[in-house]
Amino acid sequence: MSTATDSVDLVGDEVAVNLVRAALLAALMGAFAFVSFPNPLNPAVPVTAQVLGVFLAGIYLGPAWGGFAMVLYVLAGALGAPVFSGAGAGLGEIFGPTGGYLVSYPFAAALIGAVVHGVDGLVDPEGVSVARLVGAMAAGTVVIYALGIVVYWYYLDTSLVAAIVGAGLAFVPAEAVKMAAAMGIVRSEEVQAT
Amino acid sequence: MLGYEPGDSLAHRLDPRTKLAVQLAFAAAAFAHTDPRGLAMLTGVTALALASARLSPVSVIWGYRFLLPLLAAAVLFELVTLGPPWIELEAAADPLLASYRTLLIVAVAAGYVRTTPARESRAAVQWAVPGKPGRLLGAGVGLVFRFLPLLRRDLAAIRDAERARLGDERSTRERLETVGAAGLRRAFARADRLAMALSARCFSWNATLPRIRFRAVDVPAVLLAAGLGASMVV
Repeated sequence: MSTATDSVDLVGDEVAVNLVRAALLAALMGAFAFVSFPNPLNPAVPVTAQVLGVFLAGIYLGPAWGGFAMVLYVLAGALGAPVFSGAGAGLGEIFGPTGGYLVSYPFAAALIGAVVHGVDGLVDPEGVSVARLVGAMAAGTVVIYALGIVVYWYYLDTSLVAAIVGAGLAFVPAEAVKMAAAMGIVRSEEVQAT
Repeated sequence: MLGYEPGDSLAHRLDPRTKLAVQLAFAAAAFAHTDPRGLAMLTGVTALALASARLSPVSVIWGYRFLLPLLAAAVLFELVTLGPPWIELEAAADPLLASYRTLLIVAVAAGYVRTTPARESRAAVQWAVPGKPGRLLGAGVGLVFRFLPLLRRDLAAIRDAERARLGDERSTRERLETVGAAGLRRAFARADRLAMALSARCFSWNATLPRIRFRAVDVPAVLLAAGLGASMVV
């Protein structure tokens, strides 16, 4: 065992709370990967709740810690935690067909957080207008699919049309359902933001 | 599902940084040489990596079976055309090679996943990212590994309760909403308890790190990574 003799530098309470919340949200998103729901619009592609996790990270943790939570999610998955869809893990997933989505999550969560909370300090998401919440999630979805489709197209050497159909159109309609669910969660009394 | 399992294979004894370097160099080489000859050689490297982790190709493919439809779709979409000649073999060649490349990269990464415990990955993160950002990332990654099984159990309990009350007959939106809200509430409750416990136990920036070090056994693997990296320029 190595030993250190320098004095202990404590982590501040606020940082500790935010770090733990970010890590648990990342873990929750990993747990979401295990649950799938029937897709009302396209029965062939079941809905997983992972993108819901991106929405919730931005809405509840804000731009900085929400983005950080998604960085933790991607990093933990790349290092072997089974958090990706189908309980996948490993650096290979980043270079796989869904790698673009994974890389986009931190940016999408940060964007959603920035639109919902602004750049100075966090607000209570319950008080944020519906239009602002929907706009934030729509912008986040655009980021996720833009990166997801481009990476699918580049990695798999397909035509751009094939990428848009295979990686985008098959999944986009379900995002509206997740947005509605996120709105319901924000409006419910069950979850306290702070 | 593929996860860490203790063992004494060659890959288990390698330093986590060595294994990460091999994976990154392998991915870079695979992207640089996506042609039949390059991929044939990289298949040999993949076989080596799997053997060093005592991992069978079948279990890797089974572990990543969810990727297969996505890869197959890319090939099929290019193979089949809406009109004569209906099937274009040449157009499907590139996606086929790319899909195979993806499988190779995933297989090499599976060797890391099987042979590297979370604490070693955490030490590698804190080595790669120095200072407080690295400490935050390392601690966060450790927490994700630790809490994932608990939160999965939480969600399973929530879904059981839902099913017992015929909740699975409700619309997908309602089900996402109830499972999401209950899951988030439990996760935040766990987070607040844990944060208080950490503070009470002097959660510090300079906690003792697990020790990782390069050993003689790492030399061939580092040379392999260097060779793969060098193959990109020749």
